[in-house]
Amino acid sequence: MNRFRLFNPLFAMLALVFATCTPAVISAGEKITVMNPAITTKIAQRLPMTAPRLDTLEGKTIYLIDNQWGGPEGAYQLLEEMQNWFAENSPGIKTVLRRTKGNMFTDDPELWQEISERGDAAIVGVGQ
Amino acid sequence: MGVPTIGVSAVTMVRYATEYDFKYANGMPIRYVAVPFPVTGPTRAMHRAYVNGKDQLSGKPLMTAISDALTAPLTDSEKMTNTTEVQAQAEPRFLPPDTEDNLRQLFKDKEWTDYNPIILPTEERVKKMLAGTSHKPDEVVNADTFNAGRRELTVEKVAIAAVMAGAKPEYMPLLLAIMASGVPYGNSTSSMANAIIVNGPIRNEIGMNPGTNAMGPYNDANSVVGRFFSLCGKLAADLRNNVTAVESLGNNLQYNNLTVAENEEMLPEGWQPLHVQMGFKPTDSVVTIGTGWTYISSLGEVQPAYPANMLIADYMRSLSALGSAATLFVDPTVAGLLNNVNGYATKQDFSKWLAGKVEKTVASYWGNGVVMTSNNAMAIQGLAPYADWSKLRKESPDALIKPFNNPEAINIVVVGGAIQTTWFVTDFRLRRGTLVDDWR
Repeated sequence: MNRFRLFNPLFAMLALVFATCTPAVISAGEKITVMNPAITTKIAQRLPMTAPRLDTLEGKTIYLIDNQWGGPEGAYQLLEEMQNWFAENSPGIKTVLRRTKGNMFTDDPELWQEISERGDAAIVGVGQ
Repeated sequence: MGVPTIGVSAVTMVRYATEYDFKYANGMPIRYVAVPFPVTGPTRAMHRAYVNGKDQLSGKPLMTAISDALTAPLTDSEKMTNTTEVQAQAEPRFLPPDTEDNLRQLFKDKEWTDYNPIILPTEERVKKMLAGTSHKPDEVVNADTFNAGRRELTVEKVAIAAVMAGAKPEYMPLLLAIMASGVPYGNSTSSMANAIIVNGPIRNEIGMNPGTNAMGPYNDANSVVGRFFSLCGKLAADLRNNVTAVESLGNNLQYNNLTVAENEEMLPEGWQPLHVQMGFKPTDSVVTIGTGWTYISSLGEVQPAYPANMLIADYMRSLSALGSAATLFVDPTVAGLLNNVNGYATKQDFSKWLAGKVEKTVASYWGNGVVMTSNNAMAIQGLAPYADWSKLRKESPDALIKPFNNPEAINIVVVGGAIQTTWFVTDFRLRRGTLVDDWR
């Protein structure tokens, strides 16, 4: 017991020296604060759908448009098969199959105008 | 158009269009139906099966889903213009306090890392990193517009990514210039990647290795700068696997982004460093970033019977030639042979020779879907030579064309330790360099 008492102050001094000489480390359970690498993402301006839906497709003209993602054959054959399906199963629906001018990144206002004037609905096929 | 319109595409594309793209880019709740992937390439019988099959979104027969999408009345949500209730919350500057282990896991869960260990960005570490530039922490370096959402990348966010990557403060001007370049981190459904080429005094200031093992894991700056672009590029574009990052195979080059310093000290006489070719002064520090896919090694040493220029031309036939672009990484010994033995007095001379030498069949040229998607538009407009090449595709698909029609897009970078006469042929398309000195 006496020996233990004698060693106590010595042990405390050694512990103090050790503590002051050892660099601070984060213990496993200690909480730290770090900076947030994520960047705020802006939500797009919401655009409403405005074109009223059709009561029926019967008797209407549907444009099938390939926007040429993947080139001129991008979605074209798929749309041809849709056109065939309409001809076989809904002959009362007229279909017009077209490609956009340019590629997927280019606008085609003339085609949009044509659809607006002569079409009742459109299906835009995107290759990939 | 003013008429009911729907989109039809492969299910992978439709999911992106209806979720992330709708929320952050398009803003219009367009109705889609989805077919299996791929749309481009299947036989007619497979396309017929798609049409007779089910919509991959609703599970209904595809043509029923199309009819419903064109006839079902618009919902209140589809007519909605008010977005106040769906605005994204601003990201806080600090994350909630947590243990180091939990934070490391959080960074992985959020896909903010490359899954190698990172240095956690404490405020103190970021402050030290910011000492590497005179620019203010809140200055906007770039606003990412390639991926939807227009995230404003500030100097402080670059410093945070720099800490995570293990960078030193003296790297900051280079790292800021990389992010200011406006070249997006490679992200495509194809296996797109980037190349980072550093020229001028900054190479030596930060201890980059332009010599032996320049393209291998043997140098701090080469390694960390390349890694930084992956971390910061992902953060800037909010790239997350299968949400916004959609490369089918990905590209292993994205672990280091082919980051090299040109070995300017070992250029043959008359051959200019890349940045000087672009009009910068030799004393300018410049970083040039490229975008590409392909990286082919010469494997062995140069043989006099069939020298490097001939073999390089052969290997270039396998490139897409998109934008006439190629970037060659040649050892100084190869550059010396091309100069002294083959007689190319300048890099440009060799580029011109390659443009006139490399041929491929017109069918092979148009057989690349990215080339087809990009260049067919020019063919339709009647622009030479694409209109002629498009005509040949139908009339004479085996005809040979010279697809590298712009020698200025064929770049040569001299790099390596002059230990072996090796080289790499790549299809990287380089943008104009960015001045690092602007970011000191």
